[in-house]
Amino acid sequence: MSARAATWRTRADFRQAPGVLLVLRDPPAPPAPSPGQPPIVAGDPAEGLEVLLAVCDDGQAIALLGHVDLGTGIRTAYGQIAAEELDLPLDCVVVILGDTARAPNQGPTIASTSLQIHAQPLRLAAAQARAWLVDAARARWGSAGESAGDAGAAGDSGLSTQAGEVVHPDGRRLAYAELLTGQHVELMLDAATPTKPEADYTVVGTSAPRLDLPAKATGGPVYVHDHRLPGMLHGRVLRPPYAGVDAGDFVGRSLLAVHEASILHIPGIQKIVVIGDFIGIVADREEQAEAAMLALQVDWAPFTPVAKLDDLAQAISAHPSTPRVVAQHGDLLAARLEASITLDRSYVWPYQMHASIGPSCAVATWRVGGETDGVADRVADGETGGLGARATVWAGTQNPHVLRADLAKLTGLADTDIEVIRLEAAGCYGRNSADDVAADALLLARAVGRPVRVQLTRAQEHAWEPKGAAQLMQIQGGLRDDGAPAGYDFQTSYPSNGAPTLALLLTGAVPAVGLAFEMGDRTAVPPYAYLHQRITVNDMAPILRASWLRGVSALPNSFAHESYIDELATAAGVDPVAYRLRYLDDPRAADLVRATADKAGWVPHTKPQQQQPAQPPHRNRPGLLDGPADQGDWLSGQGFAYARYTHSKFPGFGAAWAAWVADVRVNKLTGEVRVQRVVVGHDAGLMVNPKGVQQQVHGNVLQTTSRALKEQVRIDPTTRTVASREWGSYPILTFLDVPVVDVLLVPRPGEAPLGVGESASVPGTAAIANAIFDATGVRFRAPPFTPEVVRAALGVLPAPAAPGAGLDAAESGAASDANVDEKHGAKPDAKAGTVPAPGPLPEAADPQRPRRAAWAVAGAVVGGLISLGAAALGWRPAIAPVQLGGGAGASLYAPDLINRGRQLAALGNCATCHTAEGGRPLAGGLAMATPFGTVYSTNLTPDAATGIGLWSFSAFQRAMREGVSRDGHHLYPAFPYTAFTQTTDADLTALYAYLMAQPAVAHAVPETRLAWPYNVRPLMALWNALYLQAGPVPAPPLPRAQLMEPQRSLDAARRSPAWQRGAYLVNGLGHCSACHTPRDARGGELAQSAYLGGAMVKGWEAPPLGALNRSPVAWTEDAMTTYLRRGHHPEHGIAGGPMAPVVQGLAHLPEVDVRAMAHYLVSLQAAPAPGLSGLSAPPATPATPPASPAPAWPGAAPLSAAALALVTQASVRAAALPGATQRLFESACGACHHDGAGPEVQGLNQPLALNANLHGTRPDNLIRTVLDGIWQPAFVEIGHMPAFRHALDDHQIAELVAYLRQRFAPTQPPWADLPGAVARARTLPP
Amino acid sequence: MVSALVTTSVNGRVERLVVAGGVPLLTVLRNDLGLNGPKYGCGLGQCGACLVLVDGRAARSCAMPVSAVAGRQVTTLEGLGQAQALHPVQQAFIQTQAAQCGYCLNGMIIATVSLLRRCPQPTDAQVRSALSHNLCRCGSHLEILAAVQLAARLMAAQPAAANAMSTDQPLGSQTLAGQASAAPMPLRP
Repeated sequence: MSARAATWRTRADFRQAPGVLLVLRDPPAPPAPSPGQPPIVAGDPAEGLEVLLAVCDDGQAIALLGHVDLGTGIRTAYGQIAAEELDLPLDCVVVILGDTARAPNQGPTIASTSLQIHAQPLRLAAAQARAWLVDAARARWGSAGESAGDAGAAGDSGLSTQAGEVVHPDGRRLAYAELLTGQHVELMLDAATPTKPEADYTVVGTSAPRLDLPAKATGGPVYVHDHRLPGMLHGRVLRPPYAGVDAGDFVGRSLLAVHEASILHIPGIQKIVVIGDFIGIVADREEQAEAAMLALQVDWAPFTPVAKLDDLAQAISAHPSTPRVVAQHGDLLAARLEASITLDRSYVWPYQMHASIGPSCAVATWRVGGETDGVADRVADGETGGLGARATVWAGTQNPHVLRADLAKLTGLADTDIEVIRLEAAGCYGRNSADDVAADALLLARAVGRPVRVQLTRAQEHAWEPKGAAQLMQIQGGLRDDGAPAGYDFQTSYPSNGAPTLALLLTGAVPAVGLAFEMGDRTAVPPYAYLHQRITVNDMAPILRASWLRGVSALPNSFAHESYIDELATAAGVDPVAYRLRYLDDPRAADLVRATADKAGWVPHTKPQQQQPAQPPHRNRPGLLDGPADQGDWLSGQGFAYARYTHSKFPGFGAAWAAWVADVRVNKLTGEVRVQRVVVGHDAGLMVNPKGVQQQVHGNVLQTTSRALKEQVRIDPTTRTVASREWGSYPILTFLDVPVVDVLLVPRPGEAPLGVGESASVPGTAAIANAIFDATGVRFRAPPFTPEVVRAALGVLPAPAAPGAGLDAAESGAASDANVDEKHGAKPDAKAGTVPAPGPLPEAADPQRPRRAAWAVAGAVVGGLISLGAAALGWRPAIAPVQLGGGAGASLYAPDLINRGRQLAALGNCATCHTAEGGRPLAGGLAMATPFGTVYSTNLTPDAATGIGLWSFSAFQRAMREGVSRDGHHLYPAFPYTAFTQTTDADLTALYAYLMAQPAVAHAVPETRLAWPYNVRPLMALWNALYLQAGPVPAPPLPRAQLMEPQRSLDAARRSPAWQRGAYLVNGLGHCSACHTPRDARGGELAQSAYLGGAMVKGWEAPPLGALNRSPVAWTEDAMTTYLRRGHHPEHGIAGGPMAPVVQGLAHLPEVDVRAMAHYLVSLQAAPAPGLSGLSAPPATPATPPASPAPAWPGAAPLSAAALALVTQASVRAAALPGATQRLFESACGACHHDGAGPEVQGLNQPLALNANLHGTRPDNLIRTVLDGIWQPAFVEIGHMPAFRHALDDHQIAELVAYLRQRFAPTQPPWADLPGAVARARTLPP
Repeated sequence: MVSALVTTSVNGRVERLVVAGGVPLLTVLRNDLGLNGPKYGCGLGQCGACLVLVDGRAARSCAMPVSAVAGRQVTTLEGLGQAQALHPVQQAFIQTQAAQCGYCLNGMIIATVSLLRRCPQPTDAQVRSALSHNLCRCGSHLEILAAVQLAARLMAAQPAAANAMSTDQPLGSQTLAGQASAAPMPLRP
């Protein structure tokens, strides 16, 4: 950027600068009131003349425009226009867009008018400046050798201009810069200035490279998101629960309470700002603001939902409206009477999103008195507004001047005390949340008096961006005998899109009353010469919050016009293109239609061709298993549509002409639609930058294809608020969907340039719908044309239960699924039906410790009673203290012993429970929720006062074996001494040595206080009598006779030394059973009936191991060893949840020990008890399993044949299950969870088809992983997963989990009551 | 939010960061190191705007904590090349005008660098699947597909330039075991 451009912050700066030529104009007069349109913000006379152009003595020119570059490339195109008229190199032109203190007020950047209309003043200004420079040169050189004439036009005077210089015929040259040195020239814009003839253009009409890309491609500070100020704080807002609704008496008035205490634990919080329903949080750091936003507890009043939106046509019809006839001719009644065929049709458009890739962001400052922010100090102290404050807002807004007026309204500042500086943002194609966040930032900056940056979250942008409105088009008409249209009675109903800036509504500055504007009329008049016609626009207030979105109401209106004429053509038995040409009386349009059809190789036809394509559609993914649906199930079709986008207040004016030919493939079984190729003809008059035009056409084609095939805002069926809060619930086109696009740009150099930002999108949806009709013979009148909608219409499946809501609940049901499976010959083995809540588990017993005979238990109880009595008498002795504390152990014990102890501590996972969150290792204090109350772990460091510094080995040994503390009080079995009791004296010694060698940490932990009777610790003696078999298991295996079922079947080989070692580690210090064996009501393990049978721990399922395990592929010793040591195995998935720290610990153990554990655990699996086979047997293997281990996809680890078969099955199944939930999964999870044909994954991408969590009886682990992600994996190589807790609602997670089960564990029945399970899991701490 | 020291290398420079280990890498790169390349798009690893290279492989920096890159090499868009010395992939994207608003551009370039490293001559289908979870809303896909192919040609023509990016090489000793960090992954043709 020119140094000048950076320093001149205001119009006044330009006006006072030396060495500059300015072209100025009067600010636009206040516009005449325009009924039915949103108010226009007039220029403020106090700001003086507007600066359109500055030519500087540094050889550069600065062009100033009110419109902004939304990614369309108008910055470059404006630069080309200025460079052309000035004869200045393009790189000497700086373009300033939208800053309110500098740029002219040209209204919002809408309606494709940036070049068509708003470039004209710039063109004139540049021509005027050039003329002045030529005059100045002539004056400098004197009049010698010059003929009289207009100096402005080169040639007349003999002087010409070239590359920033005036050139004399004799070869002398004078640079503009030189002519301007020491000058300050101001010219008022003269509309009569002659401009350069187009024939002389050398810059306009060429494909100049975009000026902005080098900085964007190298990480330059381009975007508002990149704007940073010294001392800047970070803000987050908290939006109300009525997501996406901005009209109603509850808006701005629903907040009941904000519990500030709920975020006291978060550091760095500067301020919580509450005004009406507006809540903002300012913090030192962004992650602090984010954490506070998520943690802040807020009470909201219930609100009244808007009308039901599952049937949009009905909802719009029922919405109050005012009909407005905008065009009428002929006699519709007579036409209807003479119709031989009546064709009355309705077309429905869904709510859609702008869906900007970057959620909106803004930075604001609020300065009082003489404070400066180093940016703009254009008003001297004392001249500030009544509030004595000034504000600067950096925003990605589309309409800076309108935003500034809103900010003035919001804060009470004068508009001249507010500067809006427009920085680039993510493309928006209409008004997204950019204005909202600018207002949010200003409110927060005002509250803290420091610069604040506010970043909206993805969920907030999705939920609250004003949507592209839904629309209903109804046509009554028909055909006469001769095939001519019998009349066209068109009604369009468009909920308005005013969308006041959110903060104005939330703070109550503006009442939340939905206003009805006249907005549905864009391109409401069809391009065809219908003899009898009436066009009625039903104006109505908004339903959901809406703003203009590319094509505004014209896109839906044209969808109806172009679908309908296709229907007429078919009814008349005429080729659709030929039929259009009959009634198209605009020759430029007819030329374009013919040229486009020719280029596309249009095959005239009079009825749907329903052709089988020569080959199935392109595979855009390498190696994807498309499934059986790929062969012979595809139909091909070609569709046509034409439109000229007519925009702005009715009757408006036309932008570019556009015509589409779409080639599609439709899968008649799955309903999938693929757009293969689009040929677009486009006539935009003069193209300032042809490459830029082509890019706009490409962008419009792809975005429209996306909208036609995929896009519909999900609405929560109960609250009727926006339920799409991430990309999974609002998928957009990906590279896999991108068609071939052939663009025909009609060269029209002699014609005026027309807007190209939207035109090419307008005919698109109809062209695709018409192509689907050609392929299938079925008309689709309500986009998006998703597989489930197409499938339902083709009769493959019943229609989705709630199409408007986009929830394909019916599809996940068993009946519809079976239908698909039948066709694909892959019917699941298991009977469909839901599993009841997990019932009692089949029996399995600890093979090491037999069930004791009743007399033995009775004896133990008596013993327990005796010791209980003794304890009550204080007889259970304390063990005398020793003085070993302070880490003295490190010098007492051999390093080898300590090291062995370290491994054992890792095996026992001591640190996990004995370390508080953020606390010192082993210093205790972790609060553990148990069914009996909260138990706090003790300090295991050798601190004398608060730890075990006074514990002798005997005391330690007694604690480990009997659960009794050194002072004689009973410990609670949250401390798994029932397992630890097996530890040998040698290992206890090593463990003791290790603990005593640790640094002593003085940390008094909270006292555990359970409710009665559990607070009576001596009662634990009784509990121990029932559940504790103290002491190590004898080394030799027990005689077979003493073993209980099913262990009798264990053969002697299993009691090898390795088995014994494994059993010792698993059942002793490893205490696997503590989590994996369910407990009875008294908290005792069911070791004799459900040993390692699976249990719930902290809301996670510790899955069944051994005989009851539910891995779809049997565990091998190798697999188990890998899993336990590294936390993952490709055939079983990863160790998550509370298992993560366990495998972290096991990684410290010698491999031989872990292998022994694996040996033992796998031995349990190998001998399933009778009657268990149904639960534990792997699913049926395919008929022809691959011969040797092979990877599921390139780069993946090799899998066994059985595992590979399961993965393949799930892949095939994916193709058979297209639907909203499949899209949710692919979009939300597919970046990491894919079948090899996807992005590189940083971490593991293991087959979900093999993950035991998807095959189990409980969905808990899957749900919890989706809710909370994996942010702290056991090992970094496993990779990370984000939490979806705040992005997906209960219903969506339930849907997703059901889909995962159906796709990846097809032999298992669906889980019951998933929404309930999700709701319960949500209440658990992460 | 307990702060801890994380030592990592970013664009060839060793950074000793004292931050809460659970903070997303993206937040630290942008706010603590002042980098603009990686962009916040979704926070869920869905859109790819936040891509960086970690040990030479594309990583979604919004979906991993900063602690995950301790002892590893992070390269951002800035580290690939600057306006005066562009990386061939940056050069290809500029040359083909493969952006409109450009917000997704960072992710597209990083994903391409990562793809070409493991697959120097990708087919169209390989490019599409590698970029399948890099979202672009402007519809610049066609230009981007062309840019990737041009980048492949540029890289083939000037292998030195491609290899000069030393920070893009895995650290060897710090490379993690397991399939995740297996050598360049061949794609099925």
